[in-house]
Amino acid sequence: MSPETTVDRRTFLKAAGGAAATASLAGCIGDGGDGGGDGDDGGDGGSGGTLVYARGDHPENYDPQQTTSGEVAKVTNQIFDQLILFTPGSGGALEDGLATDYSLDGESANVTLREGVTFHDGEEFTAEDFRATYRRFADDSYDYYLGENRSGYGPFTLGNWVDSVNVQGDYELEIQLTQQYAPFLRNLAMFAASVLSKTQIESLGANPDDQVALGTDPVGTGAFALDQIDNENQRVRLTANDDFWGDGPQVDAVVFKTITENSTRVQDVINGDSHITDNLDSQSSQQVEDAGSAELLSKDGINHGYMAMNMARREEFRSKEVRQAIAHAVNTEAIVNQIYEGFASQASQPLPPGVLGRNEDLDPYPTDKEQAEQLLADAGYEGGFEFELATFSNPRGYNPSPIETANQVKSDLEEIGFTVNVNQFSTFSSYLDYTSAGNHDACFLGWYTDNADPDNFLYVLLDPKVDLEDVPDGQDWVSFDTEGYSTLNVSGWANTEYMEMVREAQRTYDEASRRSTYQEANALAHEESPWVFVDYAKTLRAANEAVSSYTISSVGGPYLNTVTIN
Amino acid sequence: MVSKRFIAKRLLLLVPVLFGVATLVFAILQLAPGDPARVIIGQRASAEQIAQVRDDLGLDDPLWVQYGRFLLDAAQFEFGQSYKVAQGRAVRDVLADRLPVTIELALYGQVFGILLGIPLGVLSAIRQDSFTDHATRVGALTGISVPIFWSGPLLILLLSTYLGWLPASGRIGSTIFLPTSWTLFGMELPLTGMVTVDTLLVGQFDAWISAVQHLFMPAAVIGIYSMALISRMMRSSMLEVVRQDYIRTARAKGQGARITLMKHGFRNALIPVITVIGIQFGTLLGGAVLTETIFGIGGIGVTIVDAIGASDYTLVQGTVLTFALLFTLVNLGVDITYSYLDPRIDQ
Repeated sequence: MSPETTVDRRTFLKAAGGAAATASLAGCIGDGGDGGGDGDDGGDGGSGGTLVYARGDHPENYDPQQTTSGEVAKVTNQIFDQLILFTPGSGGALEDGLATDYSLDGESANVTLREGVTFHDGEEFTAEDFRATYRRFADDSYDYYLGENRSGYGPFTLGNWVDSVNVQGDYELEIQLTQQYAPFLRNLAMFAASVLSKTQIESLGANPDDQVALGTDPVGTGAFALDQIDNENQRVRLTANDDFWGDGPQVDAVVFKTITENSTRVQDVINGDSHITDNLDSQSSQQVEDAGSAELLSKDGINHGYMAMNMARREEFRSKEVRQAIAHAVNTEAIVNQIYEGFASQASQPLPPGVLGRNEDLDPYPTDKEQAEQLLADAGYEGGFEFELATFSNPRGYNPSPIETANQVKSDLEEIGFTVNVNQFSTFSSYLDYTSAGNHDACFLGWYTDNADPDNFLYVLLDPKVDLEDVPDGQDWVSFDTEGYSTLNVSGWANTEYMEMVREAQRTYDEASRRSTYQEANALAHEESPWVFVDYAKTLRAANEAVSSYTISSVGGPYLNTVTIN
Repeated sequence: MVSKRFIAKRLLLLVPVLFGVATLVFAILQLAPGDPARVIIGQRASAEQIAQVRDDLGLDDPLWVQYGRFLLDAAQFEFGQSYKVAQGRAVRDVLADRLPVTIELALYGQVFGILLGIPLGVLSAIRQDSFTDHATRVGALTGISVPIFWSGPLLILLLSTYLGWLPASGRIGSTIFLPTSWTLFGMELPLTGMVTVDTLLVGQFDAWISAVQHLFMPAAVIGIYSMALISRMMRSSMLEVVRQDYIRTARAKGQGARITLMKHGFRNALIPVITVIGIQFGTLLGGAVLTETIFGIGGIGVTIVDAIGASDYTLVQGTVLTFALLFTLVNLGVDITYSYLDPRIDQ
């Protein structure tokens, strides 16, 4: 064997020993702690250190048009602005963003834009930027159109409702709608409607794959500019935008760090290594409440967790009495107070509190086993029947303990004679495949609002979106294969009176009229009970004692431009 | 001595192994529930949009077409783009980012295991049936039995929450960001992705201290199991070696006990331990999944969990194959080392 292909054993062992010695030196322990507010800040604006926001996931691309992830939105909402903004902490009130004046009139929206706003690269913001933003997302005739396969929000936010965007001057826009659409201004405040730079869009290739690069170097007009996406350490660093047109920012930089495990993440805030965190469950909330150095912030969330009964699949559920009997039998009070440990409130109707058109006269169905049995007997199903209850396994905000909740429902219903077979799904995507195909008898689902508009619950989740003529007379359900059917409606409910109401309200611009129509729609949904209305979950955040001026919000945000750290 | 033929033979054997792993991964993902199309465009997408995405991704193609395409791409280490976890980035780039993180963690875990395991094993053997021996054996048994999901949070509670000695999560201080490259003789070079190395390359000693502090707990958690196994193996191997004739001969020739033990005993006892260390490296990679989750470290372990949860097929395939490749290469390295240490081994 030639010398160059061999190594002497003695040399090899010496080298290994040297490596071990180096490694042992590296193993020394210091005094620990990150000191979230110090370090090499290097921000070019603001006046108050680095704010560290801990979260549970680290996406690698921050393009608001190529994602459906709330984790992405947390960052893009700092980098980008929308034409209209949600007022922090208001529960969905609107305020001026990149637009200073806006109105809806028939099938058009007229928008006056803010002057003197610049993107982080120094380019001036004009009407052409919004037009390019819209066209990239939803106009297939645009060279830089992303295509339909990047985000479900494309059609949902703009594509289905906007016919064209016409630039009337550098700061004037006319948006032609496909129909009168009352929620439109709220859609403009959604994260997916963030305004991108036309210069940046068109500097990237026309191939949608080339446009991916926008998400790794996003350029917006927001309070913070992207400094570094550190994928190896699962962090994103933003620096203050000195030229921001709005309030703040008060800190020099924001770091989004990722800690998947809930209790570790919360501990990081308690220790002061992070300042704010979210996605708390009841156990980690308790951890914060027990700590002296951090505060648990809570706000009523704009969401709804429910159990849908599939009328298209099970004949028994087509009886209103059966549905009401189940609503009376399921002890939602116990679910909310014992299983969700009080971090949610009992639901009475599709709309959560604070949303236009909520009917305050409606109360949750009282748990009443005798009435439930009577209703079942009236419907001809005395002693109940056997059905499947599908559920996801991993916690979601509106249902933090899906398996325990399913077992509670099973136990409640078995008391009045039902046999409930709980069918657990390991992944949420496989669960959605199952429920959207209408394969379930009953299922748990829920919804977090996109825009705090009643349409976002009442039309999106309970209107089947089929032609009214396609609903047979005297029938209040349709099958999932009816033309145009929206699988977001997992109960198959197709009550034409309800459909007419929510469709009319969707086109009504007068707020008082909308309110009363939605109140009626809520009352009808409550009476007909296509769902068991289970809960509205609270929005929870933990903030270290060093944080001040942080406003917790149930829609939009997080609003970090006004936060100061001591 | 190791022959080129031996190495070439072992490298060739990697091909069927990796082919088998690739086939298995592909089959498992085909059987797994969940539609990647829905994962990509979300709950709000219409059925038409989902059908469009499935078509774009080729998910409706016959299985054998998809399989052939996958094998062809995998052979070039090309797995396409991540659907969800890294949203459009090439899987290869994601792996290039994340792999050094896990390798660094596993290496430090291994170093921790070796540095404590070998001396403890030797000590235990030298003082057989003494209190030290019993304590080491009980300690080793405990180390093997304690799961990472328990020891991790416990260490955080002790060293971070109560004593405040070490940070609870991450790889480096929250506010310390390193440049993306370093300069050597005027040449700009990429960083390695291993934070304890990179901090030194860019000359930030404070950052290095922070990195070491951050790595200590995860490395200890991941290394405890390794330490326990190595010390047990070292002990039994030493006990076996010291009963050999050549040890007695060396002693009979008048060689001192310590020299005999270290020169003739230790080196020969090391051979089976090296094998265990190699095999252990694979276990460490597995343990990285839990450790990274607990300590908020964004390595390949967290990536694979995220990718499986999100039905991000391309990323799962890429990650598992990389794991397999890494594991087999480490074993190859072990075999080579083994033959260095004991030339009698039939090559």
